[in-house]
Amino acid sequence: MSFPILSLLILTPLIGALIISLSSSSQLNNQTIFISGLWITTGEFILSLLLPVFYDQKINGYQFKEFHTWFDKFDINYYLGVDGISIPLILLTTFLVPICLLCSLNSIKSRVKEYVIYFLLLESFIIGVFVSIDLVIFYVFFEAVLIPMFLIIGIWGGENRMYATFKFFLYTLAGSVLMLLAIVYIISVTNTGNIEIISNFKFGNQIELILFLCFFASFAVKVPMFPFHTWLPDAHVQAPTGGSVILAGVLLKLGGYGFMRLSIPFFDFASVYFQPLIFSLSCIAIVYTSIVALRQEDMKKMIAYSSVAHMGFVTIGIFTLTQDGMNGAYFQMISHGIVSAALFLIVGVVYERHHTRMISDYSGVTNIMPRYSFFFMIFMLASVGLPGTSGFVGEFLVILSTISVSVYLTIFTAIGVVLGAAYMLLLYKNVNFGDVKSDIKMLSDLNRIELFYFTCLATLTLLLGVYPKLLFKMIDQSIATGIL
Amino acid sequence: MVNFYLYLPEIFILVLILSTLTLGLLNRDSSITLNTIGFTLLSIFLMTNGYGIYLFSGFTESTINLVVLSKIILSLGSIIFILLLKRPLKNENLYRYEYILFVLFATLGSFVLISSNNFLTAFIGLELQSLSLYLMAAFNTKDLNSNEAGIKYFSLGALSSGFLLFGISMVYFDTGNFLFQNLNNFTYISEIGLSLILISLFFKVSAAPFHIWTPDVYEGSPTISTLFFATLPKFASLIFLFRVYHELNITDIESLNYIFQIVCAISLLVGAYGAITQKIIKRLLAFSSINHIGFILLGMMSYKLMSEGTLFFYLIVYLITTFGIFAVILNLRTVEGEVIKISDLNGLRFTSRPKAIALLVFLFSLAGIPPFAGFFAKFFILSASVNEGLYLLSIIAVISSVIAAFYYLSVIKNMFFNESKTELLLDNNKISSVVFIISALFVTLFFFYPDPLIDLVDTLFS
Repeated sequence: MSFPILSLLILTPLIGALIISLSSSSQLNNQTIFISGLWITTGEFILSLLLPVFYDQKINGYQFKEFHTWFDKFDINYYLGVDGISIPLILLTTFLVPICLLCSLNSIKSRVKEYVIYFLLLESFIIGVFVSIDLVIFYVFFEAVLIPMFLIIGIWGGENRMYATFKFFLYTLAGSVLMLLAIVYIISVTNTGNIEIISNFKFGNQIELILFLCFFASFAVKVPMFPFHTWLPDAHVQAPTGGSVILAGVLLKLGGYGFMRLSIPFFDFASVYFQPLIFSLSCIAIVYTSIVALRQEDMKKMIAYSSVAHMGFVTIGIFTLTQDGMNGAYFQMISHGIVSAALFLIVGVVYERHHTRMISDYSGVTNIMPRYSFFFMIFMLASVGLPGTSGFVGEFLVILSTISVSVYLTIFTAIGVVLGAAYMLLLYKNVNFGDVKSDIKMLSDLNRIELFYFTCLATLTLLLGVYPKLLFKMIDQSIATGIL
Repeated sequence: MVNFYLYLPEIFILVLILSTLTLGLLNRDSSITLNTIGFTLLSIFLMTNGYGIYLFSGFTESTINLVVLSKIILSLGSIIFILLLKRPLKNENLYRYEYILFVLFATLGSFVLISSNNFLTAFIGLELQSLSLYLMAAFNTKDLNSNEAGIKYFSLGALSSGFLLFGISMVYFDTGNFLFQNLNNFTYISEIGLSLILISLFFKVSAAPFHIWTPDVYEGSPTISTLFFATLPKFASLIFLFRVYHELNITDIESLNYIFQIVCAISLLVGAYGAITQKIIKRLLAFSSINHIGFILLGMMSYKLMSEGTLFFYLIVYLITTFGIFAVILNLRTVEGEVIKISDLNGLRFTSRPKAIALLVFLFSLAGIPPFAGFFAKFFILSASVNEGLYLLSIIAVISSVIAAFYYLSVIKNMFFNESKTELLLDNNKISSVVFIISALFVTLFFFYPDPLIDLVDTLFS
């Protein structure tokens, strides 16, 4: 297809951001800016729906390719393309960004214009990561994502936002510069940044190990894997709700995507060699962070730790290097993107009304906010991995695939599932049941906007849980041919 | 028979100096106009006729182009600087016509330094340049800090000149020659001499561990002088260092090569760590420049496989960014005078959004974060050095750039996240506004479309 849809996907939010930034702020009130931002992101979402419609699942390799030379001298090209692995993540991004804006409609009062602009930039950069198939522009987008996120946490965050946003930025940057070195080396050896060509290139075992570790440093911070996860709870707790949603929903997936797109195809030998390391780190992540989550008093922190545990499933699944494991891991990524985003929204709803995130400050919410606790239950159960919700499919496939690798691995992941159920149920019980506290009585139930986006998210969760083939249809072929 | 055509740029600047001397007595503003026009003419002349000009025969083909390109950059930079200097000097009650003379002498010195092919000429050029710089540092005679900066700069600079002369005489003792191309078969005496020469040059470009003067001098001098120190003379000294490194084949001399690598590593780390605790903008920029010098030295060591274009890309981006940052800072004033502390920038985002955004662009570019030109500048240097096999230095370089990102971010934090406590007065100076806006545009543009710049450099070198 000659129509440059991928460039358009990158450019639409950018142009939107430009238009909003050029409009004079005196004429527009906050509402108008939000609404124009919503229009742009919704348009973007509709545009991105064209991808699965026109994507041909039978063809191997990348589609909708776009190629422009950027540097003649260094063979760095603006080279875009998507396959089954990138499309669902693009959809997830375009789906979540309007929700981020919707949920901030009431909570963000100051500097609204900038807020919307940063979200549009963020969307554009994230999509850029998913569509680029040249190492250099991949890195460029990967790195550029940091700037708007840094500002979002830093400007609209909580009390301790400076610490959190600096930690977030520097952790991620430290990881990515090592990847930059590896990329520079790869380009100097292969004379190209083209991902397809590099996948077929043999580096030699020793070098592969080093290069793998460089990439690993970057993606492990992003995922985040134990022991690189400490930035995540801080960033989540301090970020505004919209920031948390996009952080948990999409930014964490960049790590998993990086593993699937780059690490494994590039470094066949090293991926097998480092399996034990990654499995043990992931097991520690699953069990340890679940236990940590059990003891949290802050709702956001608890969900943040649960994210680390869930992403542990993803890394295990990816590195089993089996079709089942990969499928499961990928499904878990998408599902976690929806569910954890929804859970952060859930926290955001009560935070906006009650201005506290402490679990102990809530009790008996279900009597006052029945609709709220209904949606809370759906997402809580999805996070636990109840059959029929999207959380189940991914976890199940990952556990299934671990049996072929090692039974111990299965045991640890299963323990993780149990612990996951423990802390989520505890959270739900403490917040929703029990005596109604006097200051809880003032809270109002979900308003129409909140109902709208929770319904969207819940529908998607259940749909994917009941009919997972929707997603597998898309990714099966790409995972089978592209990665394994 | 001396062919005067070859000396034309230098003679032209000399004429400019003489006419400024006479004209400046009568009318200070006219000397600015005169010099602006003069340097514009010079740039045009160099751009169109540059290939024909070279000094002290015996350059290789690539050297000529290197020299011509550097001179073009220097004279373009001088135009911008001369246009910029009036307002800040007036604000400090320092607007005297001698200042422009110092600028001119320093530029003349830089020209001579760049094109010299002979250690003695280089010494003359360097001294001419340095003496003007000492005076510019101490130009605010009523301010103790400025005096201190001048004296410090002078005494340390004199020491380094001593090193240079001693080194030159050792080389002369060994080989009986001053010309670069005749320095082939030398013994360890020349090696010691050359290392002394290198130390002196490292001092001039403020590479660590010869950097101690930099933060103090940057801080004490009038800001406009700091801008000058950070850009044009440093650029000229770097070009000369580059030429010494390559024309004397220092790569082949193991001991000197070690010195180079160690200095590069130390500069990278000192530049990164030193800046973390700084509270004063100019000190922070001083350390940041040390860090960048480390990168440039890395580029010098490894440019072989790549073209000179990459090194020049870095230098040009660095020059543009530095000009931009200083143009913003010169555009701001507090009640007490110049903007000094980083905390003075608090809430700049509310006071003046364009300036805050421009500074954001410059700082992210210095930190090497896409989508700004600084990213590709660093990227090219890193690819060259990885190609060359300098793995350890490359790793140090990227680690240092992460640490450096921390303090660039903390400046951004002050501008964007903090509320302002002191009142910032905007000194709406049109020229410096134009300079920082254009610089910001270039820094962004070169990221998306760097080909013209690299091509330009390459055509000059091929």
